[in-house]
Amino acid sequence: MGLTGHLTSLISDAHKDRLQRVAERTFEQHLNLAVTGLSGSGKTVFITALVHHLLQLDQDNSLPLLEAAAEKRLLGCRPIDAPGTRPFPFKGNLAALSASEPHWPRSTRDLSQIRLAIRYRRSTSIKRLLGEWGTVYLNIIDYPGEWLLDLPMLQQDFLSWSQQQTNLLQASPRVEAAAQWLKANRAIDWHAPANLAQLNQLGLEFRDLLQSFREPPHALSMLQPGHLLLSEASSPEQDLLLFPLTAEVSNETGTPEGSALAEMTRRYRSYCERWVRPFYTEHFSRFDRQIILTDCLKTLNQGEACFDDMQLALNTILSSFHYGKNSLFRRLFSPRIDRVLFAATKADHVTANQHANLDRFLELMVHDARKEMRFESVQTRCMALASVRSTQAAQARKDGQLLSCLKGYRKETGEPVALFPGEIPTELPRAEDWHQDRFRFIDFAPRALPRSGLKPEHHIRLDQALEYLTGDLFR
Amino acid sequence: MSSSKHDWHRPTFLDPASIENTDTRQGFIPATDIPPDEAEAVDETPETGIPEPKKQKSTWPARALTASLIALLSLAVGAELYRLLDWSFGLHTLLGTAVASLIIVCTGCGLWQLRRSLKGLRQLRHTRDLRTEAQRLSTRNSHGGAAHFLNRLEAHYRDHPQQDSIIQQIHQVDSSYNDAEVIRFLSSHALTKQDKLARACIRKHSLAAGTLVALSPWASFDMLLAGWRNLRMLREIMSIYGVAPGASAQIRLLKQVFHSIAFAGISDLALDAGSTFLGTGLTSGLSSRASQGLGAGLFTARTGLTAMELCRPLPFNVRRNSVMKRLAGELVTQLATGARTSGR
Ligand SMILES: Nc1nc2c(ncn2[C@@H]2O[C@H](COP(=O)(O)OP(=O)(O)OP(=O)(O)O)[C@@H](O)[C@H]2O)c(=O)[nH]1
Ligand SMILES: [Mg+2]
Repeated sequence: MGLTGHLTSLISDAHKDRLQRVAERTFEQHLNLAVTGLSGSGKTVFITALVHHLLQLDQDNSLPLLEAAAEKRLLGCRPIDAPGTRPFPFKGNLAALSASEPHWPRSTRDLSQIRLAIRYRRSTSIKRLLGEWGTVYLNIIDYPGEWLLDLPMLQQDFLSWSQQQTNLLQASPRVEAAAQWLKANRAIDWHAPANLAQLNQLGLEFRDLLQSFREPPHALSMLQPGHLLLSEASSPEQDLLLFPLTAEVSNETGTPEGSALAEMTRRYRSYCERWVRPFYTEHFSRFDRQIILTDCLKTLNQGEACFDDMQLALNTILSSFHYGKNSLFRRLFSPRIDRVLFAATKADHVTANQHANLDRFLELMVHDARKEMRFESVQTRCMALASVRSTQAAQARKDGQLLSCLKGYRKETGEPVALFPGEIPTELPRAEDWHQDRFRFIDFAPRALPRSGLKPEHHIRLDQALEYLTGDLFR
Repeated sequence: MSSSKHDWHRPTFLDPASIENTDTRQGFIPATDIPPDEAEAVDETPETGIPEPKKQKSTWPARALTASLIALLSLAVGAELYRLLDWSFGLHTLLGTAVASLIIVCTGCGLWQLRRSLKGLRQLRHTRDLRTEAQRLSTRNSHGGAAHFLNRLEAHYRDHPQQDSIIQQIHQVDSSYNDAEVIRFLSSHALTKQDKLARACIRKHSLAAGTLVALSPWASFDMLLAGWRNLRMLREIMSIYGVAPGASAQIRLLKQVFHSIAFAGISDLALDAGSTFLGTGLTSGLSSRASQGLGAGLFTARTGLTAMELCRPLPFNVRRNSVMKRLAGELVTQLATGARTSGR
């Protein structure tokens, strides 16, 4: 009452309402949440589950560890139009997850955006001077994970990018598969006039190479250029057919007009300007908070090469974001990311007693990136979560011992399985520790997500992730 | 380190049909009576809890003195009663029966009171043990350690009037929660109704104490008034949280409250008062009586919050400062309007 009473008595009733609204608008909060993660890390599923739980906020109590929800201060949430970008296909994704034979949404091909307005009651009387109710606008984009790795290319030129790619291609495990292509690449005379047919052919072969690296025996992550990797046309646009130069090229003579080198340099620039920069400036330069989804289990399944490559890819991606503390001025004009959550997704693939180990393993994986961020006084945290929990905890008796295990349905066939998937190491495995049958994290088909009547058991730690990322806005 | 044999378990597929589901509570041990090892639980967290007031080790002459005093007194009382009975029966049978029944009623009520206060004491002790255990668990991200705690908590609330809602929340604990999350979940969900009632009770009593002190014409009465309000509040808070509010339990709680307030230290108190006053910024308009009332009200609120903390078996994660601030604001407006109306 106190101060509000004094203030409101000064203002006539007619203006009171309007003033209140202006005050609310001035103090309403916008949050651009960066959902970052390589392809297959679970971005789309995460966004879909998050939005679903938030939209059901007024009816279901499925986010008990979100403080504002526990205190019953969240009124409700609704989607609002986000002009300009394609809307996030929430309905379609939810339909897939809640069908009678539920399945995961398909891998994302395009950029889309969703914006939510969340209404909440302010927690203290002092803050209620701004109006009892506040609104947080949450803005999220979804995009193919492959695109992320294009972002660092903006900071490089063709030659330095080629140098980096060559180093990768000439090392194991890539070199075995790429030997043929490397030979053809070295045969190019970069200073001679460009033979476009030959360059295009090599570009197509490079695409096939990238696609094969992505698949299981390799399961690599550090794959550039992302748009080329995703293109499916049998003859894509010429500027997409970009590949690194792997031979030593002396730069003394300069770049002759019309040479192969000039052509590739042009393609590189054009690629960056047409596909990468718009994506970056329109969406990626204005985030306030970030969640980085990582699929640690995949690396454990696939072995050391996969692990190293994913670590490299993550560190490369993170160089494209701005981290630091936000002043009020900066928040309005050029925000920086001031809080980062590293999340190990698919925590439902392991038994609950392994979650602490999964946290720890993730910490080891992102150790260097985190150190950098802390240096910029950015808050970071590691957490294991599952957006859509698709397994059940169970127990089995084996050799007289009680073994905690998981029950679920296989992703590929839908048949029921029960397994003890192995334990997650809490130290980085040494070379000899990557053992063929130490881990067996299989993919599960989703358990049908109900359209209403959501419960805490439909996710793992989604509420805590949300609390960490947005909790302070609902105070 | 490089053992030839690996130290991890091999992943295995199992037959889905042969598997028992674990219920939502994490791998519950069926309720067996495990003697709670209280001493151990306490000294594992010497730094978190409020240290218990050190029991003064009484020397043997003192103990002998109390024992003999008690023996002497009960002997005297017994003899006196016997003489009373004898005398009244000698006078008239009716008078004798009346006196005898009075004595019986008296002893019965006394015993009942004794039992109740003993129960209250036991419950307070149990609450404290549970709280220390909860505090210990809340620093761990291990899994499964909370199962035993949950069993004990459930048993603790078995005859509470609102046991259904509390036990239902205990059963809502998700199987994927680690120990710290279990505690966090419970402390913000299991006792919401009780917390709300207790907070309303604290508010009522601190407003009343504030107003009474501000309006009482005799300054020396202040302490008495505030004390009386405080005691009633303690009783109510105790019964809200299901602790039998016998006299000795009440005294024990009061002792604990004062101890913990003293332990919080002067600086904390000053900070508390300072921030609440800054937050309202309206204290300048109060008369000196009214500010004494404000002081008494805030003191009552603080006592109440501390008592609430001590009656909960789960750690309390309400921001104490914001509660105090809100109360201070209310007190100030009430005292200001009260002063104005009484001034006219
Ligand atoms: N069990 C389980 N599996 C999950 C979960 N989230 C994602 N997955 C699995 O991960 C796969 C990929 O998830 P997506 O959300 O499509 O990944 P994405 O990051 O959007 O990938 P791109 O769109 O290709 O960039 C899914 O098909 C699921 O098999 C989860 O919460 N639980
Ligand atoms: Mg996707």
